[in-house]
Amino acid sequence: MTGAFDFAPAIALLPLAAFAVALFGGNYLPKRGALAGITALVGSLVLSIWALVTVAGGETYDADLYTFVAGQDTLSLHLGILIDPLSALMLVIVSLIALLVFVFSLGYMNDEDETGLPRYYAELSLFSFSMLAFVFADNLLMAFMFFELVGLCSYLLIGFWFREAGPSSAAKKAFLVTRFGDYFFLVGTVGIFATFGTGMFAGSESFPHMAEQALAGEHSVRTFLGLGEQAWFTVLGLLVLGGVIGKSAQFPLHTWLPDAMEGPTPVSALIHAATMVAAGVYLVARMYGFYLLSPTALGVIALVGGFTALFAASMALVKQELKQVLAYSTISQYGYMMLALGGGGYVAAVFHLTTHAIFKALLFLGAGSVIIAMHHNENMWDMGGLKDKMPVTYYAFLSGSLALAGIFPFAGFWSKDEVLYETLIHGFGGSPLLLAGYAMGLLAVAFTGFYTFRMVFLTFHGEPRTADAEDPHGVRWNVKLPLAVLGILAAVAGVINLAPVEKVTGIHLTFLHDWLDMAPDSFGTAVHHYTGDHGLMHEFAGYTAAHPLGETGTVLVGAAISLGLALAGAGLAYRLYAVPSPTEHTDKLGSLKTLLMNNYYQDEYQVWLARDVTLPLSRAADTFDQSVIDGVVNATSSVSLFAGERVRRIQTGLVTHYATLITLSLVALLVVFGYLGGWF
Amino acid sequence: MLLEALLASVLLGAGIVALAPNRYAGKLAAAISLVPLVGSLYLWSAFDGVANALLSGGEPAFETTIAWIDLAGYQLQWHVGLDGVSVPLVILTTILTTAAIVSAWTPIDERESQFYALVLLLEAGLLGVFAALDFFLWFVFWEVVLVPMYFLIAIWGGPRRKYAAIKFFVYTNVASLAMFIGFIALVFGLGDSVTTLGLPEITQALQEPGALGEFAGLGPAALKAAAFFAMFAGFAVKVPMVPFHTWLPDAHVEAPTPVSVLLAGVLLKMGTYALLRFNFTMLPDVAKANAEIIAIFAVVSVIYGALLALAQRDLKRIVAYSSISSMGYVLLGLIAYTVHGLGGATFQMVSHGFISGLMFMVVGVIYNQTHTRMVGDMSGLADRMPVTVGIFVAAAFGYMGLPLMSGFAAEVLIFLGAFPSTVLPGAPIFTALAMFGIVIVAGYLLLAMQRTLFGPFSLATDYELGRAPVHDVAPLVVLLACVIALGVAPDLFYGMIQDAVRPILELGGGV
Repeated sequence: MTGAFDFAPAIALLPLAAFAVALFGGNYLPKRGALAGITALVGSLVLSIWALVTVAGGETYDADLYTFVAGQDTLSLHLGILIDPLSALMLVIVSLIALLVFVFSLGYMNDEDETGLPRYYAELSLFSFSMLAFVFADNLLMAFMFFELVGLCSYLLIGFWFREAGPSSAAKKAFLVTRFGDYFFLVGTVGIFATFGTGMFAGSESFPHMAEQALAGEHSVRTFLGLGEQAWFTVLGLLVLGGVIGKSAQFPLHTWLPDAMEGPTPVSALIHAATMVAAGVYLVARMYGFYLLSPTALGVIALVGGFTALFAASMALVKQELKQVLAYSTISQYGYMMLALGGGGYVAAVFHLTTHAIFKALLFLGAGSVIIAMHHNENMWDMGGLKDKMPVTYYAFLSGSLALAGIFPFAGFWSKDEVLYETLIHGFGGSPLLLAGYAMGLLAVAFTGFYTFRMVFLTFHGEPRTADAEDPHGVRWNVKLPLAVLGILAAVAGVINLAPVEKVTGIHLTFLHDWLDMAPDSFGTAVHHYTGDHGLMHEFAGYTAAHPLGETGTVLVGAAISLGLALAGAGLAYRLYAVPSPTEHTDKLGSLKTLLMNNYYQDEYQVWLARDVTLPLSRAADTFDQSVIDGVVNATSSVSLFAGERVRRIQTGLVTHYATLITLSLVALLVVFGYLGGWF
Repeated sequence: MLLEALLASVLLGAGIVALAPNRYAGKLAAAISLVPLVGSLYLWSAFDGVANALLSGGEPAFETTIAWIDLAGYQLQWHVGLDGVSVPLVILTTILTTAAIVSAWTPIDERESQFYALVLLLEAGLLGVFAALDFFLWFVFWEVVLVPMYFLIAIWGGPRRKYAAIKFFVYTNVASLAMFIGFIALVFGLGDSVTTLGLPEITQALQEPGALGEFAGLGPAALKAAAFFAMFAGFAVKVPMVPFHTWLPDAHVEAPTPVSVLLAGVLLKMGTYALLRFNFTMLPDVAKANAEIIAIFAVVSVIYGALLALAQRDLKRIVAYSSISSMGYVLLGLIAYTVHGLGGATFQMVSHGFISGLMFMVVGVIYNQTHTRMVGDMSGLADRMPVTVGIFVAAAFGYMGLPLMSGFAAEVLIFLGAFPSTVLPGAPIFTALAMFGIVIVAGYLLLAMQRTLFGPFSLATDYELGRAPVHDVAPLVVLLACVIALGVAPDLFYGMIQDAVRPILELGGGV
């Protein structure tokens, strides 16, 4: 019987076909290849939903489909598909967001008469292909391969407007910074293959399972560098984490992401919500069973996440351009997901990944709509009063903003609250390090509330501050439709996991938890295997939950504090900016403003490393090479072969001299050797 | 007799082209070069060789052995045959030669018939190197390659062509001498154990305990070590390996594009091929005993070569130095002595042949239009040459080891093979150090691309940019297709490569 899983490869291959069609035939197609991409992604979405429904029916899929390299007496490399609740959910998210981005692009690119559209849609299709294949990858090497291809596609799309200097520079930076992270990822991948002989994610032959058995003393694996198993697994986990930090734009490799705003806005939506940046966090969730074996790695993840959440949110406070605010908010929100993963909140992280995908795609597309209206001016200080002129955009954007700020009852409230709650209870449960992460995450909530509503008020409220804002350019259905779909989802998506309500009322409402728990035991990817009573988190990471105020009390107080902080931030923004003619208040921050405006000089030191350390080093190497090494070569030839005047004559002269010389030497050598060897 | 027919067709073709009028030489040469191309693809499909041609149990395909000359107790033979290592290199040679010939149509506009005849002569030499199984025969081909290459650089090269050609010729010939001394010393050390200069016979004799005697006052162990390093130095020049690399950038910069394509694409592989055949197959115990030194050479070549590439402004020099870096990976794979290490190294020879050939060719197409290769002289070419630039970007990402292109498969196999090596102490550290090359390569290629291909259009040389002719672009497309095909399905070659390298791992030889 054929079922959804027989068509699983097509989920990724359809966009790949659209890539070829748009690249080679886009100029001859209506809408310049957009329709090919849209058709392919409708197909992907339908197949993904079918797979999701099949998984809901209790079936899962894990199969090697293509032998990439058939090793002889050594390890083989495969491409295969793993569809469990996590990947099925992610497939739906990615194909849905990608589809909406395609539709939106009709308005953003086609209606604006951009050139190079076949290339745009081809690259967008390739992007979707890469990400979908990454999501259903069944082993680490395949994941790495498509992780890299995702990087390529973001390079191509960020640099889409290649005729200007900014985009190509930003594209280069994005690829280089993430490549730096991927270097560690690849070392980790190679190390994992060398240690376990496999990179499979799920099943009894998977590396998380083998690592678990090794730590439980059931059998041993080969470790390297004289490290014990525990320490070596930590090293491997941290190496892979390098790739995650690069792609998910976590401190200190976050610097590429704000620059990546040079790309077309729909691309930003895709990169931030569902593809590139999401890939990193998804990878940690994908191999969570491995990270849970190492408390050190978990601690690093939590601290990096918490710090990034706060750090990025603080920079978002002072930005003047709409997309810049959103860029830093993305970094910050992925920090929350990392915090959740490090804090033992697997479900919370996936929940926040889901809701964030929706509301961040919404906010970027909303921003795109505003940018069309403003004739591609992105400065919020040139906007104002767009509320009445663009009601669909406004209400959709507001819905996304409420979700981002974590205001009850929008989607972001529930997921962010769960992230903080999980971190808090495990922090109290004997892992005080997590409390530091929690504190940073909590402070970031207030910042988020402030910058989000500063953005909303400056853009949509008050009086129009320029002629463009007075008379904005209209947008069509192809912009409004994706906004409406996402606007509704951003408002209601929280219902998939109402953990606090369940704890207070006792009614079963944690559907996402149940969903992720449906993975079969043989996979070892179910929630109870990770965080259940006898799960890895208790056995290996040593996390336990503690509720200082009783379970209900902790839930309610935790939620109240974070909601209160979000409202406080939003309220401050209301006081300062929801006036007819708002003014900048950043000067009150004094020198802090300069620091924030310059992003803590993170770019500067990285540019310094590249331009003022590496480049001079390479030039020094070049000088050394030309003068010393090549000098010795030339000197040797001069001294040893000839001397004085003859050199000049020969060097300007004929190769026949050399040829004769060489031949004579060879003959002489043969004679000498022949004599020694007894030929004569 | 297939191999002989192949070689004969190339040599005969070279003769015909030499006599043909200049006007038709290019097209005639391209047509003639299709014969070995098709022939080599047939060899691949009909390949039935077993294991390694040099080792016991190995049965090379298409083998011919004919006694040729008797020289003081040694029989020199016409002995050719292919195993899983040589077949992919033969195909690389035939495809790249045809591509190089077609890419020469635009830039080569004087003495064409001589040019194409020399290219075909070069091809014959290269095919001979990969096919010969007798040392004398192999050495003849090895030296034959140098002659056409010398003239190709010296006659059709850039302003400093004389210097570059002589440097190339002398440097590699001195290296040949070192290698020759090392090898012949081994042969004499073996004394009566061998009666021919057949590579299989010598290799197998070297595995026999006690077969190697004393020569020139050196005991067996010292003789082996001395021979190993003499040959290693000789081949290191060819590869080239830091610090023996300085002839390469000069040769590349001065050589016309089609010659650079063959120089980087195939000639460098002669060095790594010979390292694999001679040093690492004949004397594995010496290699293993000196694994760390060899690995240091590998890592230094990778990192130092990449750093040098970063400092260059000439696109050709960038690619030239990056070849040094890429060849460092090959050495790392070889010294690992694992299936994926040796196999990945061999696969990297083929993969890098296609990718570097493609890179040089695409730089050449840009040069044909702009008449400059300097990074600062042009920007925003993507606006005027979209197809060429598209291929440039694809080729550059291939060079960076993008998955689903052959470079990734090669590099990842080398890394997977080198990391767990038990031969090389500290293998994970060496591997991780070498792997940092993947970051630097992205740095210099992306930087060069940003400056030349993107941004607002400008061109310092004031040439009117036209469309590149189809015959300039077609070879690029073919090579790109090869890179992608090998990247998606490495097993096209990798199965036979593994067959051929696995027996090397079974060799004893006390360390």
